[in-house]
Amino acid sequence: MSEQSAAAGRGGGDRAGSEPADDVLVKHESSDSLPSLMTPSLTSSMSFSMDMPRKRKGSTDNQDSKLALINDADMEDDQNGSDGEDQHVKIKCYREPHSQIEKRRRDKMNNLIDKLSAMIPTCNPMSRKLDKLTVLRMAVQHLKSLKGSASSFSEVSYKPSFLPDDELKHLVLKAADGFLFVVGCDRGKIVFVSESVTKILNYSRINTPSGVLLEQQSSTELIGQSLFDYIHPKDMGKVKEQLSASESHPRERLIDAKTGLQVQADLPIGASRLCSGARRSFFCRMKYNKIPVKEEKETQANTSKKKESQKYCTVHCTGYMRSWPTSQVGAEGEGEADKQDSSYFSCLVAVGRVHSHSAPQINGEIRVKPTEFVTRYAMDGKFTFVDQRATTILGYLPQELLGTSCYEYFHQDDLLHLADRHRKVLRSREKIETNSYKFKTKYGSFVTLQSQWFSFVNPWNKEVEYIVSTNTVISYDNSRTGRSGHKSEQSGNSKASEDCKKSLPVIPGISSASGTMIYAGSIGTQIANELLDFNKMNSSPSSGNVSPFSLVQDKSPQTLNQINSVPNGETSDMEIPGKSSSEGEPQGASFSGGDSLMGESSQLDLDSVVGASLNSLSNDEAAMAVIMSLLETDTNLGETVDFEEMHWSL
Amino acid sequence: MTADKEKRRAISREAARRRRRVESDVFGDLSRLLPLQPSIRAHLDKPSVIRLTLSYIRMQALLKEAAGSGVQLGNILKFHHGLEAGEGFWFEFEKQKQEFTPLDETNMYLKILEGFLMVLSTAGDMIFLSDNVSKYMGLSQTELMGHNIFEYTHPCDHEEIRHNLRQTAELGFSLKRDFVMRIKSALTHRGRIGNLKSTTWKVLHCQGRVKLSVSSSSVSCLLLTCRPLPLSHTLLSTHTFTSQHSMDMRFTYCDQRVTSLLGYRPEELLGRSIYDLCHTLDTNCLNKNHLNLCLKSQSVSGQYRMLVRSGGYVWVETHSAVIPGVQTSRSRPNPSQPLCILSVTYVLSGVEEPSLQLSLDQTFQRYLR
Repeated sequence: MSEQSAAAGRGGGDRAGSEPADDVLVKHESSDSLPSLMTPSLTSSMSFSMDMPRKRKGSTDNQDSKLALINDADMEDDQNGSDGEDQHVKIKCYREPHSQIEKRRRDKMNNLIDKLSAMIPTCNPMSRKLDKLTVLRMAVQHLKSLKGSASSFSEVSYKPSFLPDDELKHLVLKAADGFLFVVGCDRGKIVFVSESVTKILNYSRINTPSGVLLEQQSSTELIGQSLFDYIHPKDMGKVKEQLSASESHPRERLIDAKTGLQVQADLPIGASRLCSGARRSFFCRMKYNKIPVKEEKETQANTSKKKESQKYCTVHCTGYMRSWPTSQVGAEGEGEADKQDSSYFSCLVAVGRVHSHSAPQINGEIRVKPTEFVTRYAMDGKFTFVDQRATTILGYLPQELLGTSCYEYFHQDDLLHLADRHRKVLRSREKIETNSYKFKTKYGSFVTLQSQWFSFVNPWNKEVEYIVSTNTVISYDNSRTGRSGHKSEQSGNSKASEDCKKSLPVIPGISSASGTMIYAGSIGTQIANELLDFNKMNSSPSSGNVSPFSLVQDKSPQTLNQINSVPNGETSDMEIPGKSSSEGEPQGASFSGGDSLMGESSQLDLDSVVGASLNSLSNDEAAMAVIMSLLETDTNLGETVDFEEMHWSL
Repeated sequence: MTADKEKRRAISREAARRRRRVESDVFGDLSRLLPLQPSIRAHLDKPSVIRLTLSYIRMQALLKEAAGSGVQLGNILKFHHGLEAGEGFWFEFEKQKQEFTPLDETNMYLKILEGFLMVLSTAGDMIFLSDNVSKYMGLSQTELMGHNIFEYTHPCDHEEIRHNLRQTAELGFSLKRDFVMRIKSALTHRGRIGNLKSTTWKVLHCQGRVKLSVSSSSVSCLLLTCRPLPLSHTLLSTHTFTSQHSMDMRFTYCDQRVTSLLGYRPEELLGRSIYDLCHTLDTNCLNKNHLNLCLKSQSVSGQYRMLVRSGGYVWVETHSAVIPGVQTSRSRPNPSQPLCILSVTYVLSGVEEPSLQLSLDQTFQRYLR
């Protein structure tokens, strides 16, 4: 008993090779334990003492329970008061019955034994589960076989490691995808480079059209050459700057992550001290040979130099500056003054890691194929970014599109559904697919596109930064009279749309471009303003502020209602502006429908006229003219300044 | 009756004792076969012995697969100087590289990378850790090896870790890994080893690759180098510039070098969002970077493109950290200080396609702001 209590007092966990403690524990573990031998109080006290936090090297199992408990105790960034932790731990222990603790320990042990048996080749084929002792014995055998004829580890002076050093080295290099290199600072002479460079940069294939060079051979070939031979010409200046060993280089600064302040750079290196030298970290492009295996080809820095036959890849080099006296025969470098540069050899010791396009694609990258291009819109549909691929597809240079509204290029038939999608995408975080639609090219013809839109929202303040559009070409040079083929059009639209289509390019007096521009450009603005207004309505009661947009706001549901009512008189199955009921947003009063606004603004008389004329669609020209005059003021208000400064919460 | 019972109890007690002795012996044998320092070995408990045995077996299987039959698995006793002592070999560097043992090379790598090596199984077990892990986590190699990484990392990062592990088993995905996670560190602020009760979260940047396995006795695993992300070691050069941002990534400060690199004057950038200045295809990259910053307080972006003022773009990479607003005095950090993002951006390439105007800012007519 005393032995046992002594063991408990010693903090006997599962200690190998210590019998008294084992007595105690094995009793608990094995089913034929004799609990009656131990008084309940001793049992409980031993359990508790076993589970009390103990600091001991080599054993984190008790610490595991500690950690688990600490996890439960809601670990925060800052250190917890140790007393508080202790208390918490103690409380936890007392609450849990020791049989639970024991069960956990048993389960853990069994789990480990199972894992072990899975790893041992001789255990594996056994169909029945082996007992603990047998598994352990087999493990011993297995380890012995792995070690071969090696001697035991009993020598004190050796500190053994789990891996042979060259294995460790290979592992590190493999993980780091890196190679070690040492270059002299004055001329960039490669003093040393590890053989992994051949695998990483494929240098072994430079001069060997056939056959395989030994890796060793290639890396030694590199030694003695100048690093600059392998660096991209434009980066030479950068690398030279990094190699300059002058510690008092005026441009070197460090930033302390804790305070954000710039601090004094490196410690001066004494001649005889080999303390940690100045650190270097930079990127440079190095030559490399692409192996025939397919890799990610898109949008990488190394594919930029397409014209040259030499490919480069970006290498992240991190390392230290070193200098030590050269130990040449006959040179007495150590006693000499530091001024003698020749007596010191300065070099950069660094690891180069190839840096691939490494953003993890958890959300899925926007993969762009040749018949795709990407554009960015501001909230109101104006182009703020156009991928250069657009030029081959649309004929416009990016700068011709930038600043203009996308609606100017959409075919009339598609305005409706695209406006609807526009509204949707501003209110939703999901990717919205459009149907096929026609986009006017520079030469007047249309290409059929289909796009995927999503609002990119700033993660911090939840504002919509812009709308990203990935546009796919469905077909080129679609005839104007071809069907647009999307289902959202109502049947009543067909005649009207045909009229529109036919007459679109031939409005006399108004060039079709400008006519549609003024008309269409406002759509985007209006949609964006709806959102603005809607949020205004929600956030503040003042809706009558003097804003140049107020006119537009009042008009917007009108105009769009007219658009909506164009194909057929019904508005019920069209999305009424502002009524994005699918998102469950409350209806702003001003968007309850065209009728209610009829009586609110003096402009509405004109609107009703417009509505009427649009309804009749007898004269497209007239309709265009009316709309133009109505919305003329829009052109001056097309700046996105106002609502970009507003804060939306979507 | 009782005498009988007593006798039987005594017999079973004796039998139990024998069993335990045998078991301890086997555990002892096992631990002696492990490459451990005697001082460590003496204090090892049984689960730890099994844990370390598992690691050992797995690593050997891994290496065997890697190198084929040519690997010398026999004698793994090597003289291990430790990181600092390896420097003694530096003097010989210029002469011959034969003097430069693999161990020195390894140590140098780990030192240069300023991190430690981690081998993760697909289940998340830390099969192997290089022994300098104690420098970063405050816990020793033998304490940690074999445990599961989910016990040591921030719960909010578990999903991301799982995602990176999951893809190990699936072919067709890129073999490279690059992510940021938070791990427990028992180091105090001054770098001393504290106790487990006072662990803090440390941000680690993990990079590496997948190692697929073919045989059944070993499993696919991740080889990772894990390193902390101190900006304090970032040296600046003509090809980098620093900037400060509010938490929504709008510029609040930018140093002058941006002008020569990207063409913008610092004043022009204030208040602009970084999302405006990058290529659309890189939106996701920046988004991920931003999220990492908000959640984990430090991040390394991948490579992305920043648009040059006059046209075209450059490839850049940004290392960022969230810091309390820059203070004028070194008083203790005020929790109510507004946070801001400090970024160091490395310019990787020259200006690509300088005549191309991709965004509105680059056109002659600019938005009035």
